Amino acid sequence: MNISETKIEWSEKYRPTSLSEIVGNGKPVSDLCAWAKEWRNRAPDRKAAILYGKPGIGKTTAAHALAHDLGWEAIELNASDQRTATAIKKVAGMASETATIGGGIRLIILDEADNIYGNADRGGARELVRIIQHTTQPILLTANDLYGVSQGIKNLCVPIAFRSLQSRSIAQLLRKICQNEGIACDAEALLRLAENAHGDSRSAINDLQAVAQGKSKLHQDDVVVSSRDSRDTIFDVLKKIFKKKDIKDALNATYDIDETPDSLISWVDENLPAQYRGGDMVSGFDALSRADIFLGRVQRRQNYRMWRYAGAMMTSGVVVSKSREYAGARFMPPSQWRRLGQTRAARQMRDAISGKIGLRCQVSQRYARLNLLPFVKGLVSDRDYAVRLAAWAGLDVGEIAYLTGSKKGALKVKTIYQEAQTMFEAGIAEEIEIFGGFGQQGQQGLQNAAADLKPEKPKRAPVALAEELEKKQEKGTEKEPKEALKKAQTSLFDF
Amino acid sequence: MVGQTNTIGRLSSYVRTENLPHLMFTGPPGVGKTASAVSIARELFGDTWQSNFTELNASDERGIDVVRHKIKNFARTSPVGDADFKIIFLDEADALTIDAQSALRRTMEKYTRTCRFILSCNYSSKIIEPIQSRCAVYRFGPITDEAVEERVRYIATEEQLDITEDGVDAIKYVAHGDMRKAINALQSAAMLDATIDRDAIYQITATARPEEIEKLISDAYKGDFAESRRKLGDLLTKQGLSGEDIVGQIYRAVFDVGDIPDRKKIELIDKIGETDFRITEGANERIQLEALLAQFVLSGGIYND
Repeated sequence: MNISETKIEWSEKYRPTSLSEIVGNGKPVSDLCAWAKEWRNRAPDRKAAILYGKPGIGKTTAAHALAHDLGWEAIELNASDQRTATAIKKVAGMASETATIGGGIRLIILDEADNIYGNADRGGARELVRIIQHTTQPILLTANDLYGVSQGIKNLCVPIAFRSLQSRSIAQLLRKICQNEGIACDAEALLRLAENAHGDSRSAINDLQAVAQGKSKLHQDDVVVSSRDSRDTIFDVLKKIFKKKDIKDALNATYDIDETPDSLISWVDENLPAQYRGGDMVSGFDALSRADIFLGRVQRRQNYRMWRYAGAMMTSGVVVSKSREYAGARFMPPSQWRRLGQTRAARQMRDAISGKIGLRCQVSQRYARLNLLPFVKGLVSDRDYAVRLAAWAGLDVGEIAYLTGSKKGALKVKTIYQEAQTMFEAGIAEEIEIFGGFGQQGQQGLQNAAADLKPEKPKRAPVALAEELEKKQEKGTEKEPKEALKKAQTSLFDF
Repeated sequence: MVGQTNTIGRLSSYVRTENLPHLMFTGPPGVGKTASAVSIARELFGDTWQSNFTELNASDERGIDVVRHKIKNFARTSPVGDADFKIIFLDEADALTIDAQSALRRTMEKYTRTCRFILSCNYSSKIIEPIQSRCAVYRFGPITDEAVEERVRYIATEEQLDITEDGVDAIKYVAHGDMRKAINALQSAAMLDATIDRDAIYQITATARPEEIEKLISDAYKGDFAESRRKLGDLLTKQGLSGEDIVGQIYRAVFDVGDIPDRKKIELIDKIGETDFRITEGANERIQLEALLAQFVLSGGIYND
């Protein structure tokens, strides 16, 4: 081993180069291989695959290892590169349509595909859809969150989920590295490092390097790198708030943990009713309410001095609220976070639909969600309407399923989707005529509509729907919707 | 470097082995995050440290373009001299937008042969998980009064300053765990006078003596509103303190005033916070502070007229 090799990060040094070296995740790796095998003869139906999962569990590594194992050339484009439509087209587009010199296969790796949005990457997502549709070479995308990837891209990809690693597998990995580096290690120390990483092998290796580098022996007590997640110590603060009496101690304890006052107050709020009873609880919530007012002042006026009063009220204020001692109930993390986590998929779906409807109605996503979506949900019980809505707003299968409250694979959803597609294509023809009268703008609308299945340019039709919806809101009888729907049909594409 | 004993032990072992993972320092202001990054660079690179170390303040330039251009350009050029890699120090990394943070993650890995990152932030929860996953995270706690004292005495000896015992105590009070404040106070006081005593420190930092503030509080609490109000007038006009400073000091002092029960203290802290808010909203800080003293009287429940 030469000197320069010892100077690189262990997480890079020990990055597996072959799929067989990847720890855990057997299923996704074999799925990946299966997809890659299809490429041997000719391009398969789905020319791209998307690897998704938490950070540090081997997605990017697997992509490169695949290329290595099959002898493919790999080209990577990641979020640190600009990913506007032009940039993506230049790099990935060229690569995807030309073969390598030797006639081999070239794997295009698009890292962090869930982060292609934002102003800086305008048009990037749409260009990517186009490239995947036309590529002659395999494309692999990686993402932390599948919901962050636009539906158009998702539809074209084979999804492959990577799971977080078990502490045991990570500990094994660490042991191997220690052996390689000639470090004698304590099993307990490795396990502690592994657990601290919460399934993220990269951060475990980073931590190992942090504590073990330059040592010949690693003992449990050497493991001093901070946890990336401070749940262990927040419990100490809670104990000082709910079980002890020292007001200064409770406040000072918050300086040692890495929680913002906003998240600390959620912890206290969650546990207060389980810890205190009667008047003590009331007085505790009064203190929290005061703390919240100070937090609101921080937010509204950017007056960060208010943080200290918020902090004092949510800790010391709750300390003095107890008039007696309470037996220990277990401290729980804020259930609101859990709930938000559980419903995240549904919320993102809801927001995506609201966004589409909002775009067509020229209202904000928020307005569409609060004022239009409830009616749309009611209206889609009429099948004809559902088809027209899907065509008009460009809804995908998942979104139709969400709105109609049926399963994604249901026949009903499929047929609505297919009919909507047909109607949409017919609709383009009508739109061309409609926009014909508007000169330049019309031309652009035409190009947009032809180029992309979901034209993002707001049309005038949506306004008609918004009006329909509002009309219905006023009348609100059972019979009206059907009639209004008939009108809606004519006004959707005809205006 | 003082304070942060554990952390320093680990950091110096990086210097010994001449290798460094990406690092993330979290902690409140003035606890030595920047100082640590700079000393690592100095010790690793020696004379060439300035060419191999760059500091970017993320709160000045927080968009994705910084990552894609400025950072990347520095990261991909090779290090100067014998150095094996360069160091990019990203101060206040929690101010980077999510987009910019995402763009940073692959840059961190791709250029790891030529470049290491040190990120500093106040709260690690503001840094996205994939970045945390790429770093060894070190938490910097607030600096203890002992560490402040040690450092102040060290500087005083090196610079041959004459500082009294109560001067050191005053610096500890003023610094309140912030080493930068402590050293600034020491330096400013040294320029003012040959001998540095408590009055010099309090004067230069526009701070009331802690006893004065405690007296202010206890007078009001015991019902002597007139005396308390006169004292307040002194602080505002004679010593020229701002209402903001006074209210901040009252907040710090109220925890330690002996004869007020805890429950009352919390009531008062709530009032102090309210006063602090009203000072920024209102036109006349004196009125707000007087109203606060009146609240102390009410809380004490004794009225002497």
